[in-house]
Amino acid sequence: MDSTLSHASVSAGVSAKVTRRTVLSGVLLAGACILGLLEASVASPVPGVRLGLANIAVLVALVVLGRGQALAVSLLRVAIVGIATGSLFGPTSALAITGALASWLAMAATLGSRARFSLVGVSIAGAAAHVLAQFGTAAFITGAPGVLSFASVALVASLLFGIATGLSARFVISRLEGSTLTGR
Amino acid sequence: MTRADRLLAVGILALALAIGPVVSGALAFVPASTVMIKGPSGTTEVPLGTDASLRVTGLGGDVRVVLKSGQVRVEESSCPDHVCVRSGAISSAGQALTCIPNGVTVRIGGERDDGLDAVAR
Repeated sequence: MDSTLSHASVSAGVSAKVTRRTVLSGVLLAGACILGLLEASVASPVPGVRLGLANIAVLVALVVLGRGQALAVSLLRVAIVGIATGSLFGPTSALAITGALASWLAMAATLGSRARFSLVGVSIAGAAAHVLAQFGTAAFITGAPGVLSFASVALVASLLFGIATGLSARFVISRLEGSTLTGR
Repeated sequence: MTRADRLLAVGILALALAIGPVVSGALAFVPASTVMIKGPSGTTEVPLGTDASLRVTGLGGDVRVVLKSGQVRVEESSCPDHVCVRSGAISSAGQALTCIPNGVTVRIGGERDDGLDAVAR
């Protein structure tokens, strides 16, 4: 009797943990989609310059939930925002997907690296990787490497917006500590 | 910000400053007497000196390319984000404007015959 009870409470603890992770993933994905849609409606003044708001959610997922969940949030966000804006499977999706993958890769690498990057460093690495991947893909699709010369302004902007999104992510993570969502 | 952050930021700034001159330097050797307009329905070459307003049929609508006094720009496009229009005017060898949603690329300098482009792609 005792052993079954303790077993039950252990499995309840585990499933509560799984539930928390699932709920937090969903919340972050929803947040990423809303930020992505918000950003899609803001016209960028210069080609390639984007706020990268959705990256806040991906960065929070990366730190709190791990690499796999962050990748899922990032790619599902691209798919859902693509459906909502009608650009899914269009040529622009190729840019969005390579940008999202490169950004995730750069952030996962900097977060896990032995050199000590703060969240701001991780964020600017992701933002710069996003810009480079998008321009690289654009040059590849069009066969016109000349489009790469527009990357300068976008890279400088990615640095500024990367710092801003990194600070935002840090703020969100500090608020999540001790909340029921993380169970910490 | 940690030391690693600052190094990364400086690296990104250096890359941003270097990428423009490197790209234009590498492409300066492309002959720049023609404008190549590549769309979903084919490729057209126009001499750079002409003044013209061309309507190119893209994947999702029309893109209007305007050539005036040695400069080329996209004046109007059916795409949602208008990156092509905001890219402004181009005038020197190798520079390119592109409208990804419409699959239209405008580039100064035609295809090279020496096969280097094929390798670079």
